Amino acid sequence: MSSADVKAEYAGLVKAAATGDRGAMEALLVRAQEVAYRFSLLVCGHPEDAEDVMQDALIKTYQHVATITEPEAFRTWLYSTVRNACLMKRRRRVGEPSNFVSVERGIETSEGTVHVDVADPSRAIDQRLIDGWVDGRLRQALKRLPPSYRMIVVMREIEGLSTKDVAAVAGVSEANVKTRLHRARLMLRKQLEHV
Amino acid sequence: MSAPPNTCKEVLSHISGYLDGELDATACDAIDRHCLECASCAALVNGLRETVGLCRQAATAPLPDAVRQRARESVRRLLDRQGKES
Repeated sequence: MSSADVKAEYAGLVKAAATGDRGAMEALLVRAQEVAYRFSLLVCGHPEDAEDVMQDALIKTYQHVATITEPEAFRTWLYSTVRNACLMKRRRRVGEPSNFVSVERGIETSEGTVHVDVADPSRAIDQRLIDGWVDGRLRQALKRLPPSYRMIVVMREIEGLSTKDVAAVAGVSEANVKTRLHRARLMLRKQLEHV
Repeated sequence: MSAPPNTCKEVLSHISGYLDGELDATACDAIDRHCLECASCAALVNGLRETVGLCRQAATAPLPDAVRQRARESVRRLLDRQGKES
């Protein structure tokens, strides 16, 4: 399916959802979360953020559909929203305290030691799901690209956005998208030879 | 487009357009001819073709069932909650 076809399909779902079609709204919201999941993992490379970014995409898409004036612009809006959610998530993490609590020792409080639950075991399950999803060599090679190149190559080659839409999401010119895509392909090829 | 690409440097600078089907037939023929005589450019074109192919395979890989299931459940919870509130 071409980029224009996918865009038109999104626009159709948005229009139907805006008129109260629950099935269309469900399909749109599931898709929004799938985009958020793929973007979190492949562009941002942080599986631990995926859940929050998916939730953000769900709520924002639901709110946006009611006020949308340009259904054709929805797909670009969705990727911009997911990209911003990933960036915000990272900024918040940078601000988090750097002293971690020892799982073995727990936290010392005035009322004694409080033991800490080990991280959600579903995280490990998530990692296994990811491992079985996209070719491991490609994931490793993508990880080694500079982030701005990785975003372009994922949106263009994997998500299938047009050069114009990628430019709108990334906030750069179409010529810049083409240049970065060209360099990213050359880098990816080199990385794939070594993984 | 100006003169069709003939040298390795020119082929390299046009290679993405070639792979994306953005070049005219004359330019594509020039690259094909160059690759018949230049093993390193031919290897580059084939390597990039494989790279792009690998990315496009990832595009068609369905998400894990567990992720799709979780997404569907979140959507239903949200819509049911909104339905009750309105």
